Amino acid sequence: MKSKTRALIFFALSMAVFAALPVAVNTAVLYMLGLAFIFVVYCVSWDIIAGYAGQTNLGHTVFIGIGAYTTALLCTSRIPHPDLPIFLTILTGGIVATLFGLGIGAICLRLKGYYLALVTAVLPLIFIQLANIYSGIFGGYEGFSIPFSKALPGGVVENYYIALVFCFSCLAAMYAFVNSSIGVKLRAVRDDEDLAEAVGIDVVKYKLLAFCVSAFFAGLAGALSVHYEMTVGVDSFSIPLMLEIILGVIAGGIGTFYGSAAGGFAIYVAKNWVLIQVSTFLNSFSPVHISDEMILYALLIVLIVLSPEGVVTKAVKYFGEKLNLNYAVKN
Amino acid sequence: MSLAEIIVLGSIVGGIWALVASGFSLVFGVARVLNFAHGIYFALGAYFTLVLYDLVSRVVPGVTALILASAVACLLVGLVGVAVYVFTVKPVRRYEVMVILVTLAVALLIKEILLSVFSDVSISIPPFVSGCVSVAGIPVTYTRILAFVISITIIAALDCFINKTRRGKEIVATSQDCEAAMIIGIDVEKVYIITMFLSALLAGVGGILYAQIYAVNPMTALRVLIYAFAIVILGGLGSVRGSIIAAFIIGYMQVAVSILFASEWAEVVAMLAIIAILVVRPQGLMGVE
Repeated sequence: MKSKTRALIFFALSMAVFAALPVAVNTAVLYMLGLAFIFVVYCVSWDIIAGYAGQTNLGHTVFIGIGAYTTALLCTSRIPHPDLPIFLTILTGGIVATLFGLGIGAICLRLKGYYLALVTAVLPLIFIQLANIYSGIFGGYEGFSIPFSKALPGGVVENYYIALVFCFSCLAAMYAFVNSSIGVKLRAVRDDEDLAEAVGIDVVKYKLLAFCVSAFFAGLAGALSVHYEMTVGVDSFSIPLMLEIILGVIAGGIGTFYGSAAGGFAIYVAKNWVLIQVSTFLNSFSPVHISDEMILYALLIVLIVLSPEGVVTKAVKYFGEKLNLNYAVKN
Repeated sequence: MSLAEIIVLGSIVGGIWALVASGFSLVFGVARVLNFAHGIYFALGAYFTLVLYDLVSRVVPGVTALILASAVACLLVGLVGVAVYVFTVKPVRRYEVMVILVTLAVALLIKEILLSVFSDVSISIPPFVSGCVSVAGIPVTYTRILAFVISITIIAALDCFINKTRRGKEIVATSQDCEAAMIIGIDVEKVYIITMFLSALLAGVGGILYAQIYAVNPMTALRVLIYAFAIVILGGLGSVRGSIIAAFIIGYMQVAVSILFASEWAEVVAMLAIIAILVVRPQGLMGVE
């Protein structure tokens, strides 16, 4: 009961802070923060499969991309389809992503460790290639835009609130999932598959379930991002996006619900706000163009090499011990 | 489209893939490191050669300059491989996911640097030899034949090195049991560094040969990984001989798909092949645990 109350306080407090933000910051930053909320859902949904179920899925962007392309195709006349309201196209995006999650999960059931990592790492590249081959439908590498009438209906501030509410609803649902009895069984499968099977947990069923839930939320978030940005492209499948998701989760602490949410938020803001300014500054005197990605990757390498167990986890442990806070990395 | 065409052209591509995949597999077998930066060595081989050729050809004329440039480029790529290992992989080797993450970050960083310096255009390297000959009724350039000969020679040399020399046997010993290797006095760290050097060098050679026949751009660094993964999964992770056989199978398949459908489909089919193999035989043709 105590942890539930704490979660409730955490959700309410951060929601209140973010709800009050539009008073203080300008619209450009608000727009970016809205995308950061969507990114947080990517991160936490990846944490479900990687952190809680222990499946090193490096192809999470497949689900994001599937969700994004599904909703985008349902909003344009590229393929024949019934006219659906926005929330239904987003939901369809999530459902189609879930089906792919089921399929990919079924293939990956037999794979462990390195083989799983290799196969899932290649999956997004195949979807990028397919999007390019069928460029008549998927718009090639550049993707395509959706009509203005299908964008989220508000101005920047209203859309910010939509993203905020979406993010916290998803977080609440995923929190309920990982803390339910299903979540406990998932962790049992992660920690010792044979033992889990021996005590009567249907390993296959729960692994597939984890894939589906993870894919569903990633698909929903990917779909929302299309309506938020009004455009879809192969970027939603890309390896750099996957790397940023992993970075966010690992920085915050894999398998820790709050950690991956906070880590994802911090990484997104750092990359799209702070690093862009750093790169602009560096480019004012650098002979070759320095992109913000370059700085991100260089920083990432340095961070991993210096602190492989996760920066935030390490810091929290350190300060937790120092201040004698009762913070345990909850699994 | 004919069977002869697939066999001739597929062997050439297969030879290049064998160079790339054997190194990737070797590193995994010996150090249990999945090196996502492996494709970078392939691209760097081509880019280093191009830059060095530009410099050397001002002093030495013609093909000599190209050969000189290629040789130096291969050594440089080997050193890059060692540097990537020593500075990024070695400190985090205990953490599996971190190794993947850090090598992926290295790959993306170098890709961004290549994009920034050379911009998003494809480059080719001038061929060592020119001319054309008819093999089984198919016109094949001497460049391609030379590429095939070079890759086969290098692969044979690699196989010989691993199985015959003392250093090679140390590599095998380390891949079989790292701790036991340490106990009998093998300097495991040295073996790792040699393996990284060799693996990068082989990929670098592959990149140079590939850039003489086709073209290389910064994105190649990532796309090569698809083939490397497909090959090592087919051949079995850690098995060098398995990778070599698998490289040719993938090479033939790639050429067949390119001829029958379109070259864009080759990667998709390679991926579908991976899935099919995994369903039938998850440990690959000659895989290790």
